[in-house]
Amino acid sequence: MDALEKYKQSWNHQSEEKDKFSTEQIYNFTHKKSSSVVKWIFIIGILEFVFWGGITFMLPDSVYKMYEDLEMTTFFYVSSVIHYLVLLIFIYLFYKNYKQISVLENTKKLIKSILKVRKTVKYYVIYNLLGFIFGGITINFFMFSDTDKLQKAINIQNSHLDIDKVVIYMMIGQLIVISVFTLLLWLFYKLAYGILLKKLNKNYAELIKLDEHI
Amino acid sequence: MQKDLESKFLSDFEKNQNIVHKICRIYTTNKHAHDDLFQEITIQLWKNYTKFRGDSKFSTWMYRVALNTAISLYRKSTRTIKTQDISEIAFKIKSNDYDDTQEKQLQSLYKAIHQLNDIDKALIFLYLEDKPYKEISETLGISSVNARVKMNRAKEKLKNILKP
Repeated sequence: MDALEKYKQSWNHQSEEKDKFSTEQIYNFTHKKSSSVVKWIFIIGILEFVFWGGITFMLPDSVYKMYEDLEMTTFFYVSSVIHYLVLLIFIYLFYKNYKQISVLENTKKLIKSILKVRKTVKYYVIYNLLGFIFGGITINFFMFSDTDKLQKAINIQNSHLDIDKVVIYMMIGQLIVISVFTLLLWLFYKLAYGILLKKLNKNYAELIKLDEHI
Repeated sequence: MQKDLESKFLSDFEKNQNIVHKICRIYTTNKHAHDDLFQEITIQLWKNYTKFRGDSKFSTWMYRVALNTAISLYRKSTRTIKTQDISEIAFKIKSNDYDDTQEKQLQSLYKAIHQLNDIDKALIFLYLEDKPYKEISETLGISSVNARVKMNRAKEKLKNILKP
């Protein structure tokens, strides 16, 4: 007898897989892409964090000088630290969502997880937009509250200029800049997370349907 | 129409899922990787199901798609099998004809198969499943003669690993 024949016999006598998947689970496998979507949300979150962190480090010295002249250095550092802490918390939440949305979950659990992911992303976007608006307003408040400091910060040498007029123009300018950037930021989130959430929502709708069937 | 196709697929697949589990067992060595591969094979089977016209048996078609998925995934990854992983899965003999020697044989067989390359794994698997050469050649997309030659080499390799 071939040496392998006895092994073949053992092979034929092996027991069936004890952790068999149910029809429901198999159906989920064929339809489910949620876990990869949630993984992308996590990855984009990290990339964004690195991007903003990188920008902060690459800011030219003149920006720091301006903060110094406006006596806002403490505000700048404290708010930066808080901001990055909050971002880290969000990244942790994204990671937790990703880990939780395991492919082997049942439909009900998965629906719950998807809802949780949507909520986290929503809060994340709201936090970023509000944070940006709040930061912009605070900086402007500091800037325009003391015209002497402002003059020093923006280096107005020409004393003939009417400082009040300059302040008004600057305020309007700042308002436009903040609005435009808020809009751009919102568009960015809509694009980056909107597409992913749309996919997730599609999967969600399918799962709800499946849940009604079973 | 789509719904009918879906339920037919699901019931056929569920009945034959042990085939996929066996394939996962020879290509992976821990539960997590096993489930990942299982899911990937399921996705590929469902994607290709519309092309399955029933001119071969469902299980035959399943062998082909599942093995090819495992082979292509295995090729892409550089994962090597870690020895500490192997003990994670216990290979069991059916309880009604339980035999200690057979269980030990089964375990050393799996251990040996894990050391083969992706193609040899598929060949040995089809040999153990008692598939005729015609089916083996169709499943792997090679000629019958080629299948015979490759099979003999794979068997030799396996015997060498199994030698005490």
